[in-house]
Amino acid sequence: MSATLTLWNKYMSKLVVHPEETVGMLIQPVLWVVLFGVGMKSLLGAAMPVAGDVYVTFMLPGIVALSVLGGAVGGGSVWLQERLSGVVKEYVAAPVPRVGILLGNALAVVTKSLIQGIVIVVVGVLIGAQLDTDAVGWLLAVLLTVGFAIGFSGIALAAASRIDDMGGYHSVIMLLNLPLLFLSNALYPLDTLPRWMEIGARLNPTSYFVDGVRQTVLQGGEAMAGSEVIGLGWCCLGVATFAAFGLAVAALAFRASLRRA
Amino acid sequence: MTPAAIAADSGRATDGAAATADRAVQARGLVKRYPGGVTAVDGIDLDIAPDTLFALLGPNGAGKTTTVSILTTLTPPTEGSATVAGCDVVGDPGAVRSRIGVTFQETVLDDDLTGRQALDFHGRLYGVARAERRRRISELLELVELEEAADRRVKTYSGGMKRRLELARGLVTRPQVLFLDEPTLGVDPQNRVAIIDHVLQLRREQGLTVILTTHYLDEAERAADRVAIIDRGRIVVEDTSAALIAAMGADTLYVRGSGDVAAFRASLAGLDWVQKSATSGDDGLVQLGVDSGDRRLVEVIRRAADAGFDVAEVSVAKPTLGDVFLRHTGRRLRDR
Repeated sequence: MSATLTLWNKYMSKLVVHPEETVGMLIQPVLWVVLFGVGMKSLLGAAMPVAGDVYVTFMLPGIVALSVLGGAVGGGSVWLQERLSGVVKEYVAAPVPRVGILLGNALAVVTKSLIQGIVIVVVGVLIGAQLDTDAVGWLLAVLLTVGFAIGFSGIALAAASRIDDMGGYHSVIMLLNLPLLFLSNALYPLDTLPRWMEIGARLNPTSYFVDGVRQTVLQGGEAMAGSEVIGLGWCCLGVATFAAFGLAVAALAFRASLRRA
Repeated sequence: MTPAAIAADSGRATDGAAATADRAVQARGLVKRYPGGVTAVDGIDLDIAPDTLFALLGPNGAGKTTTVSILTTLTPPTEGSATVAGCDVVGDPGAVRSRIGVTFQETVLDDDLTGRQALDFHGRLYGVARAERRRRISELLELVELEEAADRRVKTYSGGMKRRLELARGLVTRPQVLFLDEPTLGVDPQNRVAIIDHVLQLRREQGLTVILTTHYLDEAERAADRVAIIDRGRIVVEDTSAALIAAMGADTLYVRGSGDVAAFRASLAGLDWVQKSATSGDDGLVQLGVDSGDRRLVEVIRRAADAGFDVAEVSVAKPTLGDVFLRHTGRRLRDR
């Protein structure tokens, strides 16, 4: 556990050394929420006045999910960089559990995702999103974000352990980023999707994360007229399972990479 | 401080003392085969006593780094077994890791950290308590002469400074065994000497077993208590550096002077300890192959005087480890 904290501390301290990274981390979600949110709000608001705000509320968790995906890709990239430069050797030679090392990287991603999540919610409210929540709701939303971020970090770390060059890693991981957002209920309700997409969306952990945040923090998760919502219990279970899956995959890939060394 | 006092000071007294009572490193039949048929290590045995500076000398590709990887638990052996500081590398790798320090062949430092932060990170990773960490770090920064640069980012360090920092890092945890994998590779000559000096100084101050891999002959000769020559995955010969050289059996005496060269050479002709003699040029240089230059020097000078040959200067050329390597492997050990 102390290894995880030590590594987390090191990764977080880099935000101070690389201020441009911090600035980017904060500005990126703002841009997404504003540009996409205001645009869609205008589009839908032209049809019905309330629809714009309703959609902004609806799509806000999707922006958080996008931040998490981006953060996970970044975490994996850092991992690959450290593997290539040999820094990982220092971790591996130390008497610390392998999972602990991975968790240090994943938790740094989680931390950054949570910070971005706060920015997203604040900006979202400013452009019209409606909150409906309490302390328990916030807590659940945070836990969902933690679980979702660990899950995707795990997958990114697994890819970064198996692939040995930066270009290859980014090619593979790009498959995850936007497509996973589009193949979910983040931007459109589940029941509006054609059957094949609906199946994909139901298998996508992003959908569980997004619906979970809608129900715990935002008003009218079911707001998009009659759309079906995944039950909160299923959302939590889905995200938790995904987190465990991500870590397991990362641990296996890491061990395999050590045997190849 | 005596080694026992140091061990007690770091809080691992009885455990460490009992475990390393016999051997710091012991290996039997280590083999490492990679998929694709490469055999990097082909049956290596080692018996390294505590507080020894043990050099593994061999060319690139000989299996030095792979052997170190096995002993430091970074990679499992395909066959064979090894214990380091009394703990099994396969069965109890965590225990091995907590008792050793390693520096790797390539520099593995995080450029964003300062020197001090890098050492602190390492100490924290190994669970060294804060007060002990702080004390140890300032001692080590002083040892490797990096106090002034300690709070600058590693990115700004020269290659030699980085290697010295890595040496300090390997020692933060007060390891029982320190593995140095080609610690002076690619380092300028001044820093090469400094790094080895730091290691030797440390060993004088406290008990420490050091396993050093290198392809630099002078390092092995100067620093090592024992040298094992490794080639193509096997240990070809192992002994103290002096014993290996003495076993070569032949020194060369260069005698320069003026006078009756022929009579001088004649006086040496039938002796059983003179293996050959030759003159080079007409500048009065006589080159003698003898069994031991040190022992025969006085007699050679006396015989020269008796034969009417005035000796102006004499020098003894001893074989080097390079000659030892050549004798045992049939090839020259090239410096890179």
